[in-house]
Amino acid sequence: MKLLVCIKQVPDLESRFKPDAAGIWYNETDLAFRMNEYDEYAVEQAILLREKLGEEAELTVLSIGPDRVVEALKKSLAMGCDNAVHIQDPAASSKDPWQIASAIAAYATDKGFDIIFTGMQSQDRGSAQVGVIVAELLGFACTTTIVGFDYDNGTVIAKRELEGGIKGVVRMKTPALVTCQMGLNIPRYPTLPNIMKAKKKEIVTIPVADLLTEAPLATTISFHPPAKKGGGIVLEGDVGDLVEKVIAILKDKTAVLR
Amino acid sequence: MEATRQIYWNVGHGVVIPMYILAAAAFGYMVWGFRQRLLIWRQGRALDRFDRYDERVKRMIGEVFSQIKVFRVTDGGVFHSVFFWCFLVLFAGTMMVMFQADLFTPLLQVNILSGEFYKAFSLVLDIAGILAIFMLAGLFVRRFVIQPKGLEIVRDDYIVLQLLFAILITGFLIEGARMAATELQQNPDLARFSPGGLLAGQLFTTLSAGTLLVTHKILWWFHFALVLGFFCAIPYTKLRHIFTTSINSFLAPFEPKGSIATINLEDDSVEQFGAATISDLSWKDIFDADACTSCKRCQDRCPAYATEKPLSPMKIVKQIGELAAGNPGGNLSETVSQDALWACTTCYACQDVCPADIEHVNKILEMRRNLTLMEGAFPGDEVRTAVSNIEVNGNPFGLAYASRGDWADGLQLSLLEHDSDVDILYFVGCYASFDKRNQAVAKNFIKICTAAGVKVGILGKEEKCCGEPVRKLGNEYLYQMTANENIGLITAYNVKKIVTTCPHCFNTLARDYKDLGLNIPVEHYSTYVNTLLDSGRLKLEPEPFSFTYHDSCYLGRYMDIIDQPRAILRHAGGAITEMDKNGYDSFCCSAGGGRIIAEEKLGSKISEARVKMATDTGAPLLVSNCPFCLTMFEDGIKTGGAEGLLQVRDLAEIVAERIVP
Repeated sequence: MKLLVCIKQVPDLESRFKPDAAGIWYNETDLAFRMNEYDEYAVEQAILLREKLGEEAELTVLSIGPDRVVEALKKSLAMGCDNAVHIQDPAASSKDPWQIASAIAAYATDKGFDIIFTGMQSQDRGSAQVGVIVAELLGFACTTTIVGFDYDNGTVIAKRELEGGIKGVVRMKTPALVTCQMGLNIPRYPTLPNIMKAKKKEIVTIPVADLLTEAPLATTISFHPPAKKGGGIVLEGDVGDLVEKVIAILKDKTAVLR
Repeated sequence: MEATRQIYWNVGHGVVIPMYILAAAAFGYMVWGFRQRLLIWRQGRALDRFDRYDERVKRMIGEVFSQIKVFRVTDGGVFHSVFFWCFLVLFAGTMMVMFQADLFTPLLQVNILSGEFYKAFSLVLDIAGILAIFMLAGLFVRRFVIQPKGLEIVRDDYIVLQLLFAILITGFLIEGARMAATELQQNPDLARFSPGGLLAGQLFTTLSAGTLLVTHKILWWFHFALVLGFFCAIPYTKLRHIFTTSINSFLAPFEPKGSIATINLEDDSVEQFGAATISDLSWKDIFDADACTSCKRCQDRCPAYATEKPLSPMKIVKQIGELAAGNPGGNLSETVSQDALWACTTCYACQDVCPADIEHVNKILEMRRNLTLMEGAFPGDEVRTAVSNIEVNGNPFGLAYASRGDWADGLQLSLLEHDSDVDILYFVGCYASFDKRNQAVAKNFIKICTAAGVKVGILGKEEKCCGEPVRKLGNEYLYQMTANENIGLITAYNVKKIVTTCPHCFNTLARDYKDLGLNIPVEHYSTYVNTLLDSGRLKLEPEPFSFTYHDSCYLGRYMDIIDQPRAILRHAGGAITEMDKNGYDSFCCSAGGGRIIAEEKLGSKISEARVKMATDTGAPLLVSNCPFCLTMFEDGIKTGGAEGLLQVRDLAEIVAERIVP
């Protein structure tokens, strides 16, 4: 049984984002990169299944991006993936979800994967499209935002998170693709022996041009911080005065006291 | 007639051969017992503790005979030490009798034990015996009547105390019987030099001569049997500490306090990191269990134990011993419990006070290493997050690494990437870089340096967590990753001297980084500022204030920096009221051992307990010089209801306010 998990390396959200020179994406200077959080749930779930299936299974982790994404691949290998594929693309951030999904599908199409795991969405672009498009391109059954996963004898049973805290349960025949949501599991911390073993695991590098022939369907035209609205005011001083000030502001700027 | 006594009086020289045969058998039994223990100790990993042999022997002789470590805690310690010295005198006296009777008399025909010397000999031995009985009584009352909290009563306590009492009492009874027959009437002047025997002799004055002789003989054999029993019991009871605790003084490490074995991460052949079972610990770790006398001094000082957490350093040492003897394949962290292991703040109070030179802290660290490196375990999810933050952003807060140097905007210092020609590199650390309260400390430290004309540089966004919290939680891999990055930078900038405001960074850079190749002098600002004051480069306008001072574990106990911060505060005009637990006896703030990134979920709060000790002094101000301590006390004052009673400030803030412009 062959399993694939697709991951993305994204900037840590605490980083300071600045637009790049062209103003259509962020400048990577001073950013710290890490594995996309939702992809960590995908990796963990894939490894849990891989461990359950034992020797008959093989788990591949895939990532598209510049050379830095190898760090995220290494972490997945240390967590327990068997081998890794790096689709090398220094300009991955300028690709739209259709192109990324097309490249993944082009890689996966003749590999005979039974189940593909992806994160629900990326923390930077947040389109939530790549997983579902890959499923569509490969003709896989697909369900999204899963918070529960079980597999038995060719059938995937996935619990989905719906609006308002409601859960739904989906049953699919393989081949299938699931996109993973927070709450699915707690990603493991790689053990040192596994980190050491991971150093010897294979990372195959494929130039993106070998896989991608599609043109973008959507183009990013601008990347900028939201316009600054009025900041908050911190009032200090005697409680009596503070009350006066608050009432004055409420009268002046809001409708609550009118 | 010259003062002396007849050795083997009444029992006769005929006892010599059976006596030596029996004694040899008892010694044989004792040696065999230790041989059994040896097999238990040898289950541990190899470790060389036999280098620098002469120094080790010297240290052992010094510590054992002076009883300096036992005496440090007077409760129980005084009784033990005095008893030890008395028993030693009695042992030496008995040896002299033996040499006299079986060597000097038959071979040289001289009698040392005669005349004035015999009088002194007799008096000293009797006084030692009487004192020993009193000390033993004191120990008896302490253990069975007073029963201090945490002092357990086990089988060995009954055996050992009864045996020693019986040996001493029968010793005096034999002497009394002999004196009743030969001295009390015949030579009362000499009898006065045996006060114990004189007293015991009164019991026998009414007996007929024949009964007296038989009684004496029986007593003699009974006393002898007890002594043999004593030797036989040594390896099988707590009495083994006579040897094991003494030997532990020989085996104690020579490395600087707090040294942790740096794991070679390049070695592919290693499959087990940290200690999962007994065989992953060193033989010394198992030996330590036999050196432990359950005096519970470690437990008494443990901040986790004192705040109802499931950790007792003594219990862990005992549990290791029990596993080694009874279930060598057993899982250590399951036996000890993960909660106990994670509760340790590595404050070193246990190890510092241990009279038996037991190394508690590294045992806990080795077990944590197994949990972290082999099982990927964390004390809590908040720690998982903090560790991941250190991996990504180089600080536990998860704040953007690029903003690490922002606190220094507008201050007079250099970023090493722009100008590395500086007097000192200030290794700022995560707290002073990102935590608002501690940024004030960093700024004040820069103010002090500027006033003293010291050119300071920082690494800014290039600096990473020193790795101390994760190392103490067992994550040697992440520690070495961040440490090697820091070391690479510092070395490339050709730094001459490093100063830190964080004692944890200080310990790590000054000691732990040496193993990874950093050999630059590192100082904590407590000593650095003290030197600036002494040399006159920094001048203060003293302004009176009263305060109490908290010794950070990693400055006081680990680095022996106790007087310097107090000297600075005196210089600044401060009048100190010490807390009961100060200096080497200081009580942890709760944040060591990586606990700074963990929530304190079990028991009561350590920081509140320490804040209470500070308010008890009546001083309105608590001064510390560690960012973790400052953070914990700010918190402890709020949650412990000490707001308005106590304020906590850093040493640098006190100094900076008093700089002569």
